[in-house]
Amino acid sequence: MPMTFNLAWRLFKHEARRGELTIILLAIVLSVGAVLSLSLFSERLQGALKSRSAAFIAADAQLRSDKPVDETWLLKANDEGLDTAKQVSTRSMVFKGDEMSLVDLRAVNNNYPLKGMVSVADAPFGAKKDINALPASGEAWVQSRLFQTLKLNVGDAIDIGEVKLTVTRVLADIPDAGFSVFNTDPIVLMNLDDLEAAEITGPGSRARYVSYFAGDTSNVKSYTSWLLPQLNDDLHSWRTVEDDESAIGRSVASAERYFLLASLLAIVLAAVSIAVAAQRYAQRHFDPVAIMKTLGATKQTIRKVYLIQILFITLLGIVIGLIIGFIGQHIVVSLVADKVDVSLNVWHWRPVVIAIATGATCAVLFSLYPLLQLFSVPPLRVLRKDLDASLRSRSIQFVASGGAIFALMWMYSQDLKISVILFASGAALVAGLLVATYFLIALGRKLGSGKMGPWQLAWARIKRRAMDNSVQLISFSITIMLLLVVLVMRNDMVSQWRAQLPEGTPNYFLTNITPDNQARLDRHFDDQNVDINEFFPVTRGRFVSVNGEGVNTEVSKEEESSNEGRRGLGREANLTWGNTLQKENEVIEGTWHGNIDAIYSEGWFPVSVEEGVAKRLDIKMGDMLNFNVGSEIVETKVTSVRKVNWQTMQPNFFFVIHPDAMKAFSPTYITSFYLPTERKTELTKLLKPFASVTMFDVDARINQLRDIVEQVSVAVEFILVLVLMAGSLVLIAQVQASMDERRQEIAILRTLGAKGSLIRKSVVFEFLIIGTVAGFMAALANELSLYMLQTSVFQMTASLHLEYWLVAPAVGALVVGVLGAIGCWRLLTLNTGEMLRKMV
Amino acid sequence: MTPMIKTSTVTKTVNTSEGSLQILQPISFEVKSGESVAIIGASGSGKSTLLGLLAGLDEVTSGEIYLDNEALHTMDEEQRAVLRGSKVGFIFQSFMLVQSLTALENVMLPAEIANLDNPKGLAMDILEQVGLAHRAHHFPNQLSGGEQQRVAIARAFITSPKILFADEPTGNLDAKNSDKIEDLLFELNKNTGTTLVLVTHDNELAAHCDRQLTMHAGELKETTHSSASASEVS
Repeated sequence: MPMTFNLAWRLFKHEARRGELTIILLAIVLSVGAVLSLSLFSERLQGALKSRSAAFIAADAQLRSDKPVDETWLLKANDEGLDTAKQVSTRSMVFKGDEMSLVDLRAVNNNYPLKGMVSVADAPFGAKKDINALPASGEAWVQSRLFQTLKLNVGDAIDIGEVKLTVTRVLADIPDAGFSVFNTDPIVLMNLDDLEAAEITGPGSRARYVSYFAGDTSNVKSYTSWLLPQLNDDLHSWRTVEDDESAIGRSVASAERYFLLASLLAIVLAAVSIAVAAQRYAQRHFDPVAIMKTLGATKQTIRKVYLIQILFITLLGIVIGLIIGFIGQHIVVSLVADKVDVSLNVWHWRPVVIAIATGATCAVLFSLYPLLQLFSVPPLRVLRKDLDASLRSRSIQFVASGGAIFALMWMYSQDLKISVILFASGAALVAGLLVATYFLIALGRKLGSGKMGPWQLAWARIKRRAMDNSVQLISFSITIMLLLVVLVMRNDMVSQWRAQLPEGTPNYFLTNITPDNQARLDRHFDDQNVDINEFFPVTRGRFVSVNGEGVNTEVSKEEESSNEGRRGLGREANLTWGNTLQKENEVIEGTWHGNIDAIYSEGWFPVSVEEGVAKRLDIKMGDMLNFNVGSEIVETKVTSVRKVNWQTMQPNFFFVIHPDAMKAFSPTYITSFYLPTERKTELTKLLKPFASVTMFDVDARINQLRDIVEQVSVAVEFILVLVLMAGSLVLIAQVQASMDERRQEIAILRTLGAKGSLIRKSVVFEFLIIGTVAGFMAALANELSLYMLQTSVFQMTASLHLEYWLVAPAVGALVVGVLGAIGCWRLLTLNTGEMLRKMV
Repeated sequence: MTPMIKTSTVTKTVNTSEGSLQILQPISFEVKSGESVAIIGASGSGKSTLLGLLAGLDEVTSGEIYLDNEALHTMDEEQRAVLRGSKVGFIFQSFMLVQSLTALENVMLPAEIANLDNPKGLAMDILEQVGLAHRAHHFPNQLSGGEQQRVAIARAFITSPKILFADEPTGNLDAKNSDKIEDLLFELNKNTGTTLVLVTHDNELAAHCDRQLTMHAGELKETTHSSASASEVS
């Protein structure tokens, strides 16, 4: 073995045994352990949440098309290791003898559904249970309401187009039934093999062809990138769990971003702790390096010895970190097991690779500057202890550390935006802290003058150390800031999720309320002590033209291939009218027509259009829109464009027309109400007098949504705890590291007869001052980061967090002060003689 | 006979906030092979600075230094390190042992750096000579001050250096231990024929040396002149 290796191994072995490497080892263990447990847990959790929301689209990804899709696309998916299934859905008439009803027909092949379960009931409106089967050819499973409408019994035959099918089961639900108050038709599930015979999907039909895909995330991703370029935006739409725009989809997406953020911050925390520990490690080795150089060791020898030693430390740190991280995530998973269905069976390699890369990158890049300093220690130090490293360029440190943090963030997140935001606010914090440090010194000169007491001693030390070691103040602030970001983000995010479905969210919808029934129903509900929401008038209207140009409301093969003209919304749209802007609707262009006196003499009525549909149909402010209602044409002009929050459980409308336009038409009304689960039994009594009114029960759906939000919140809380633990350890490491430098001063003060209480107080004061400043700077930087994160990454409403401007300095002072006191107490228990001897 | 150490008008100037300060006035002297020389002087007189320059730990501002005929003043730090490793030994007031290595490993260190054969065997032999073989596997903080300095002496002699520099070797020791260390140092010096340059403010210790040079405000003067020596000081 070469001498350098032997020497490095010997130093490593003894120092590790004597506990001298504990801090740097702990820092690496912490970084690797935190990153591994966080990312392993978040990957598992994301997997669990994804599969949960995958059930809502019956797959990991869906391709919806207005035409049958190319079979080779499905074969290609199978080649890529994906499972596929098919569904054709259309609205169609179903007959039983003379009775008929419009239904939401779903013809599926035998693989359906890839995710989630079909559920059935033993009798109409009975309790639902999952079933692992599908209607066979010649069979149909129909929802309870159709049993009522067509007076069906199980075993009866129904006619769908040209085919006769036997009703064999009561269908309770299918995974991707979707949710729409207007989607009033009962679902009929049939086998795809029977569809052709029904002859209902010919030209002019509005059949939708859905292909389902499920498999490994990477396979889905690679298939997506293959498929997307071949899609025609006018015909196809591609949906995955990730771009699910539902409340669940958005919660999962923001949770994912939060996990990413938390993991990134854990990496930064770990990096900070490694930087602190490496600095301390290097300083402890100034003497041995000077001795070795004096004894004839060349720079190259020194470099080899210490690089090998860092390698040993890194390797050991990574191994222990991996073990602890693995155990840590197991503990967390078992803690949340009853709340979130997280599987431990799947092994994820990415977190392991990331954790190892993090440990190695941090250890190498963050020890670069301290090591370069170490190599530059002059041999003359053996005679003159005051000689430090000759390398003093902080720019190397900033470039190496900054570069390392940014590289890690980018590598890990693969998201330049989130990395730039965090990094920029970190850099702003560092710059701010440098200014604060100088300000503190200036202030200290004034505050710290006078008779020497603990307060003056504290300021004297800050004056000397703040210059030398502003790194410590900066790292305290960064740690507190990162903890604040993770904490506040979690609070804001969870409260915004919960706000989507507050207590009292309507869980039942009523439609088909005639004007006669409206007042009676309102009174009746009032008598029964049930709050009913606003009644919205609804009428069906056909959207016929924009600025006189016809809109395609029927799609024929010819029209599809030419792809000219605007595409309509369907044969009919639900129109409402009113003067009051609905809740969660915001006018983003024009003026809400509630404020305009409609004068038909100009030949039009004001209409407000939803932003998304305006974009899709290329409708602009001032466009003339014509609707065909009954046999009349209603002429309207776009006077406002609205942004609608579709996440709210309330009826929302694409078009809201001025009420004057609709005076001549007789509408039906739609409303919603909230009934607590324990009063569910009163439903029949409530609705008995209104036989023609249709009710939709979305209680289960809302509970399911709430359930998922709760699960995500629980997971987020655990991640918060993990990051808090990582942050606290960093603070402890920092205080411990700084205690080394205090040892000498305390020894001198003790020798001079200073009382323990004076020393203790002065150290506590010093840490209190540093903690307060760090907390204040952290609150400032936190606000900046949060504003950028919330507006650019999380698509949330940014808000000020003034309470943290008080909390952060107070908590900073308290935590840092207490840690300082503990560290100082340990030093005071040491023998003064021993300390003095070590100083010489 | 060529001198083992030869200096010619060596000066040292340092820059301070109040301008440059000349710590050493031009110094010229020679030390013959096998000779022992004590440099005495009060604190701050510049004796440690001179030792640092002679040992190649620091660079001269002007003048020339030759160690065993090699021009130290023309060498860079790397070349000086190689020279130190092959020809020079050191003993310090504060022992300067590597705290995380055992006594044996501390003694082995220069032998390993100089790539000598069997550094462990050499180290054990020399620990035996200083009477510390039984404490070979102890760490410095487990040894008394006197024992630590004996380890340092063993470390200094393991490479059989031609020149030994000692900076206040008994400065941190009580009288009893000082005597022991003095005896050990001069005995080994005599046995090995090493040239010894010793910096001290202890006249008694200095008296053991062949010559005494006195440092005062950066100037060096010959105090005694042994019959065996023909060295000159200017």
